[in-house]
Amino acid sequence: MELKRSLTSGAAGRLLVTVIMLALAIVMVIPFLWMISTSLKTPAEVFKYPIEWIPSHPTWAHHHKVWTGPKSFGTYYLNSLKISIIGMLGATFLSAFAAYGFARIEFKGRNALFMIYLSMMMVPPQVLFVPKFIMFEWAGIYNTHLALILPGLFTIFGVFMLRQFFLSIPHEISESAFLDGAGHFRIFFRLVLPLAKPALATLAIIDFSWQWNDYENALVFLIDEKLYTVPLGLQNFILENTVDYNGMMAAASAGILPMIAVFVIGQRFIIQGLTNSAVKG
Amino acid sequence: MYNNWMRRQRLLGYVFIGPSMLGVLVFFLIPAVYSFGLMFTNYKFMSPNVDFVGMDNIVRMLHDDLFYLSLRNTVIFLLAVPVSIALGFVVAVILNQKIYLKKLLRGLYFMPYITSGVAVAFVWMLLFQPKQGPINGFLRSVGIEHPPGWLSTTTSSMYAIDIIWVWFLLGYNMIIYLAALQEVSSELLEAAKIDGARPTQILRKIIWPLVSPTTFLLLITGLIMTIKTFGIIQATTQGGPGNSTTILSLYVYQNAFRYYEMGYAATISWALFAIILLITLLQWLGQKRWVHY
Repeated sequence: MELKRSLTSGAAGRLLVTVIMLALAIVMVIPFLWMISTSLKTPAEVFKYPIEWIPSHPTWAHHHKVWTGPKSFGTYYLNSLKISIIGMLGATFLSAFAAYGFARIEFKGRNALFMIYLSMMMVPPQVLFVPKFIMFEWAGIYNTHLALILPGLFTIFGVFMLRQFFLSIPHEISESAFLDGAGHFRIFFRLVLPLAKPALATLAIIDFSWQWNDYENALVFLIDEKLYTVPLGLQNFILENTVDYNGMMAAASAGILPMIAVFVIGQRFIIQGLTNSAVKG
Repeated sequence: MYNNWMRRQRLLGYVFIGPSMLGVLVFFLIPAVYSFGLMFTNYKFMSPNVDFVGMDNIVRMLHDDLFYLSLRNTVIFLLAVPVSIALGFVVAVILNQKIYLKKLLRGLYFMPYITSGVAVAFVWMLLFQPKQGPINGFLRSVGIEHPPGWLSTTTSSMYAIDIIWVWFLLGYNMIIYLAALQEVSSELLEAAKIDGARPTQILRKIIWPLVSPTTFLLLITGLIMTIKTFGIIQATTQGGPGNSTTILSLYVYQNAFRYYEMGYAATISWALFAIILLITLLQWLGQKRWVHY
């Protein structure tokens, strides 16, 4: 789809449009640039106008403060990594398992069950907060990492996404395996899972980013500061340092950089996964 | 023989779905039913007296000014969705042309979406700072003497949140549109060009209708996703100043975990569900009218 002659005729037109779009893209990422720049400034330079994009007296002191001291981001990182990685692995595996059942096995009640899954996607998390709070209190896992890890093992979106993918695998593949005497388990582990590697990677990356960025659940289910995840630790740091703007921005950088790294590495998977589930789902 | 095989299939089906079903049951279905029951009680955290109060919570909600204010704020919040869809469409159409640095540009526009969270909320808080913040610094430098107070005044705060939200959603909408634009057949566009259609005509009469299912999908999913969000507001303004940025989802959270009015919170959360249900129903009903497949 190109409107060649009209918009971008020749190299000059292409260059012009590129420059305009790049300028707008820079406006989009200005908050990040300003954040990094401010985290390296001295307090007096924070609100200087015109903005000093490159600090005249760059200092790492604010970053140092975020990472050392009694409330170091190290703890928050370890907590977040633990919760996100366990959640990601569990959610990906359990979704694949269920998606196989929904896509490749015919049994009574399957469609009704799938409708229940569908309807649960409509229920806003706010409906579930209070009952989950009561249930977790009762089970003794409120204010422990289990309160985030256990629900994190299940993602309805993941079941949908992988079901969609499994449906697209030709039936001939499993039929010939059946004739060779293989059962569903062998077909799942030996045939379908290896074929689904890209889809599994996509779900894993998207799920990881959700778990890493999850602020609302952590806010409701954790109180102990040493259990805090990165979003909650960040909030805590900023509430305690409301006048230390440089420190705030250093902390914000610490909160964002891992996701930017994940994005740079997994961009292809993330974009593919989101477009597939939106366009075909 | 055949019956045996059927029974085995069914059993295997449950074995595969079982673990996930257990999770859905424990963390979605039971809490949902539980919450529905709570709606008819006066349950408060730590208080031993739980009474069945019938419709009291619903009546209270219908007379609660703050509920209506939250509803109004939610509607203003939702305005960000169509705006970000329109901008996402424009960016996608341009990025779909022959230009340089496509991948880099796509990545830059998409970046806000992946870094969602508290961190960006705090960055925006400082950018919006009314007296010294860089945004108002810029506005003053171009001659606007009284720039808005952004997050600090009751009249502008919800719109300031909208700006953050448009910025956040734009990249996602762009990515989905880019995928949809790949599907638009180039023969059709060639034919239109040969017939002498102008670029704006092609855009309005051919491309826009052809991607209408995508527009519709982005609108529905965007509205539903936005309606469930409150983290960005909790992190920046906690619903203030006054209650000018208290949206429904945040109002539920506040009732439950600030005032410990858990029965009442459950009631408002079901009002939230009702809105989502309404949007979903409109999707089913209206789809055929305005979407061209």
